[in-house]
Amino acid sequence: MRAPIPVFVATGRGWLGPCRKLAASADIAVVANIRQAAILIVAGEPRDEDRDALRRLHDQMPHPRATAWWGTRPFAEADSALEVSATDDPGPLLRRAFAALLARVRESEPDWLPDDPPNPWRGEGDHGQGGKGMMGGTPYGRPMAMTADDLRDGLALDSFSFTVGPFYPSLPPGLALELVLQGDIIQSARIVRPPLDPGKGAADACRSMIVGRMLHLLELDALARRCEAVPVDDRDAVAALRRRIGASGAMRAIPDGLGRIAGADARTRFTRMVAALGDAEASSFAGPGGRLVDLLPGLEWSEAMLVINSFSHRDLVALAPREVEPEEHREGHGT
Amino acid sequence: MALIFALALLGQLASPSSWPTSWPQAMPFLGGGDQGAHAWQRYHIRYYSMTLLFIAFEMEMMFMYPWAVVFVAEGMKAMVEMGMFLAILSVGIVYGWREGVFRWQ
Repeated sequence: MRAPIPVFVATGRGWLGPCRKLAASADIAVVANIRQAAILIVAGEPRDEDRDALRRLHDQMPHPRATAWWGTRPFAEADSALEVSATDDPGPLLRRAFAALLARVRESEPDWLPDDPPNPWRGEGDHGQGGKGMMGGTPYGRPMAMTADDLRDGLALDSFSFTVGPFYPSLPPGLALELVLQGDIIQSARIVRPPLDPGKGAADACRSMIVGRMLHLLELDALARRCEAVPVDDRDAVAALRRRIGASGAMRAIPDGLGRIAGADARTRFTRMVAALGDAEASSFAGPGGRLVDLLPGLEWSEAMLVINSFSHRDLVALAPREVEPEEHREGHGT
Repeated sequence: MALIFALALLGQLASPSSWPTSWPQAMPFLGGGDQGAHAWQRYHIRYYSMTLLFIAFEMEMMFMYPWAVVFVAEGMKAMVEMGMFLAILSVGIVYGWREGVFRWQ
């Protein structure tokens, strides 16, 4: 029995179905963190605005590493790229590439980004100290911590802002959020990029992927993998999976009343989604009206992930319109 | 013991140090996302500069106890010397004030 190849999948437009098949392969282990991967699979054409994020993702992969471009053209800077046509199974090529990487026969890919600090600071300031002043200065080129009003008890703790996504495994593919945390409580959220369209005929695959993500979030990993691998057209297998999910207590593990909108909370939405597994005709509940970002402040990280993943793709697109202009986002992060 | 040392040295030499960590690789994993602030942002020791000033003046107070005994014997001369000492320390306060170390926000 050979060890599975640790891969990280960056999903592009319309590639949810093929990615689901890939995740179901026993020869491949789709990891949740790029730091655990040996091969990055770029599945489908990434959006133009996601290209910089993909470069950042690639450079965070540990050596020795390789990138497989599945059904899309490699970037110009991607030397010795592995190319797989859209209709081919990438498994055999990945296996050969992984063995070559481990044997040092294949060169590990160099970085795609320049080896510069994200916020240059050396030599900045009157004395080269990296900023100006003491309080409110910018040592290492980054703003110092400043307090913000805390939602829970009024205690002003230091807030931390960052962008997560569009390739974050706990979020729907393509969704990128700009968040401000205090501790693990979300203070504010903005949509940087909406989720990707799963593509025609992928509604069923998309639903099983969402249920799989929810089960991962609830620490039911074995059940999640079963959900990601179940053939959606096999009625008996899907019915058995639904029974297993019900028996696992997954619904009861979601706090009651969490993320309530249009009369339904996260638990209700998840229950409906599980019931609709294998039903290609099932529709989401009517457009809920409202904004996703209004549901997140005050939630802990784990609760927020459950709320986001409790929505069907169609509802999420309606709830999460883009709120940050690309230029504004770039200026704000200085990369 | 020598064998263990030799094996450790060999392991060190054989380790994949040919791939030094680059700046992009050192960034935290955010699914392609970017951090808007330094990781230390949450742990800013806001009272650091005030602490330095406190220590300076605490030491000054320790000097003033034996100085009080000297003052009884020496009179105005000791007073002038202490005045000079306090003036020098006050320059530190004025400088800190100018740099905004007393501003919490």
